[in-house]
Amino acid sequence: MIGNDIVDLELAKTQSNWKRKGYLDKIFTKNEQLHILNSENPDETVWNLWSRKEASYKIYNRITENRIYNPIQFECFDFEHSIGKVKNNGVFYFTKTEINSLYIHTISVLNINDFEKISYQNRNSDIIKMNGIPYLKNPSKKIFKVISISNHGRFEKTVSLLQPQSTF
Amino acid sequence: MNKEETISKLKAIIKPFVNNDLAFENLSETTDFITDLNINSANLVDIILDVEEAFDINIDNQSMEKMLTIKATLEIIEAKLAEK
Repeated sequence: MIGNDIVDLELAKTQSNWKRKGYLDKIFTKNEQLHILNSENPDETVWNLWSRKEASYKIYNRITENRIYNPIQFECFDFEHSIGKVKNNGVFYFTKTEINSLYIHTISVLNINDFEKISYQNRNSDIIKMNGIPYLKNPSKKIFKVISISNHGRFEKTVSLLQPQSTF
Repeated sequence: MNKEETISKLKAIIKPFVNNDLAFENLSETTDFITDLNINSANLVDIILDVEEAFDINIDNQSMEKMLTIKATLEIIEAKLAEK
């Protein structure tokens, strides 16, 4: 199972003012807020942690088919490790985050070994949506492969897992 | 405050964050902030904070979880106003 989330840093600057009173309290735990405010680049750290929460929420949403707005309950750990963790309701998600001057992109998986199976797809691949959740259609096998699409501002990334999964 | 007033106050709050003007024009109780109005999920926080300010209420995490549609938001505003 896979989920991803991208943040266009330029758009985020104008779209959201995380410094507004009460903003951080609504979506970040005390520990996350401490990490944000003590980091060298708080702007970047806000969207870094946010993208980890969103990417992990997408997996939650797929598995439970439940839509909910509770970013604070997807708590990030191991901020500085190459593989981060996000915990929600006793479940751990593993995250890898790519940061450059233009965007922040996080891929979240449930099985840590799945990081080796990540495949980037083209947007024009044969994608269908069921209940608002995207799948990649594979006509030869008549199966639907789980994919995750994220777009924000100038950027879009579509990812899936290479090997057949039990979640097909 | 009657329901009409609540809705018009809420509409004014969400308008700046809407990315689908047609869906906003055809707004109904079932309208979804994210799937219909294409509101960025990071901006839902702004809507929640603006609702708190405009109605002078406090939206706890449990209520916030459900605030994905106009209907759920109206119900939460009504419940919180009734608690006052």
